[in-house]
Amino acid sequence: MATQLRASGICKRFGPTIILDRVELTVGAGEVVGLTGENGAGKTTLMRICAGLVAPDAGRVRIAGRLGYCPQVPGLFDLLTTNDHLVMFGRAAGMGRQDAIARGHAILDEFGYPIHDKAVTQDLSGGTRQKLNLAIALMADPSVLLLDEPYQGFDRGTYVNFWDHCETWRRQGKAVVIVTHMLAELARVDRVMELAPHPSRAHRWADA
Amino acid sequence: MRAGRIMIMAEMHGRDLLRRHVALCLLFALPFSFYVASSDNGPSAAASGGVALAFAVSGAALFSVLSSRAADQRLVLSGYRPFEMLLGRLLFLGPLALMIAGLFSLTIVELSTPARPWVVTLGIAVVALQSVPFGLAVGAAVPRELEGTLVLIGVVGIQLATRLDTVSSKVLPFYGPRQILEAGLVHDGPLARPLFQTFAYGVAMLIAARLFVSRRVNVSRHEPLLTGPRAAGPGAEAGPAVKPGPVGAGPAVGTGAAPANGTAPARTGPRHFAGRRGRVSG
Repeated sequence: MATQLRASGICKRFGPTIILDRVELTVGAGEVVGLTGENGAGKTTLMRICAGLVAPDAGRVRIAGRLGYCPQVPGLFDLLTTNDHLVMFGRAAGMGRQDAIARGHAILDEFGYPIHDKAVTQDLSGGTRQKLNLAIALMADPSVLLLDEPYQGFDRGTYVNFWDHCETWRRQGKAVVIVTHMLAELARVDRVMELAPHPSRAHRWADA
Repeated sequence: MRAGRIMIMAEMHGRDLLRRHVALCLLFALPFSFYVASSDNGPSAAASGGVALAFAVSGAALFSVLSSRAADQRLVLSGYRPFEMLLGRLLFLGPLALMIAGLFSLTIVELSTPARPWVVTLGIAVVALQSVPFGLAVGAAVPRELEGTLVLIGVVGIQLATRLDTVSSKVLPFYGPRQILEAGLVHDGPLARPLFQTFAYGVAMLIAARLFVSRRVNVSRHEPLLTGPRAAGPGAEAGPAVKPGPVGAGPAVGTGAAPANGTAPARTGPRHFAGRRGRVSG
């Protein structure tokens, strides 16, 4: 299994608090890893470091291929529509306007996105915004997917659908890391990494 | 491609602002209110109103940066460059500012009958253009809306309140535009030097905005992980599917070398636990 994501020796502290201490994370192609831990354990920080949004104090991250990152809080423009977002993020991935809309809607359709072409983001429900958030992360067909509790606000059908997609991503050879508190769904991942809370920054591994 | 991304940014910021109907009305109403309120001061009301245009335009520029804070870093992660995002905003806000300045100039020239109407028009246009990099720079430098608004009120307010010959007036960004406006009210006064000052100040603020934006939305580009021909770069994900063993067998927390009781051991140094497939991780 080719390694797609390797984070080694990651250290991060905020003020006096050590959040991550020599954390290692390696994810191979076609592997889905569940990242768990208590609140404040550093899951989101580790994801943001892997995405390149936060610089670690020590350690390094290496990634093969494209990266897709779905943050816990969707970074969307309140007064732009779904199509506006698809065009804007699609352009970043080198897509033309129509291609971006077509690709975005194809992804959204998979997650049962209601038709809201003209509605601005602030008028969408939390779950619908989260679907758009996830679709944006998938726009560029990434080989490494970092998903930080991406299912928040999903209805039951979409939630089940999301976890079913893990199998699809696995078949496609993507390396997927999902931050989750849903222990019942850990059966759907290949491996679980648990970050220990501060001050003991240990983490344990387990295979699914 | 780069031009395409800049145009998309300009278009999206335009769409975002044009959907803020109240804000748009205020953009026009604010400088008019200042002008009307200071009309008792005679011709100098034109200068006050002109500089007050800076409140409106720089406010719009400030909030265009601060309101998209959460999205900006993600846009950079997706492939945009900070200066493309900045140029996109500039490309939309510049013409918008000139449009407001045009309408405002028509009113002032009609009502105040300045000695040199075209110079007043030029001064108002220069205020409008200078306000865009000023708002962008402040928006990029401050952490939140409140701080940005206070800086903006402070700078433009001091510029309005102080006499032209004071040191504090001369160091502020709207000194050049204000000189031009004052020159338009009488039959003489320098134009070339204030224009140059404004231009230099504007360029400096754009550079500052560029530096602050780059720092704020900085995204680390990780080293590529070269593990084989199919993992070498974009498009590598199109390779054959890889399926590592059975799926859905359920998590086995505590298997392998991991602690059997499922508790996380206190870390005293690097500790490694082998997973079921023998990988050493952690």
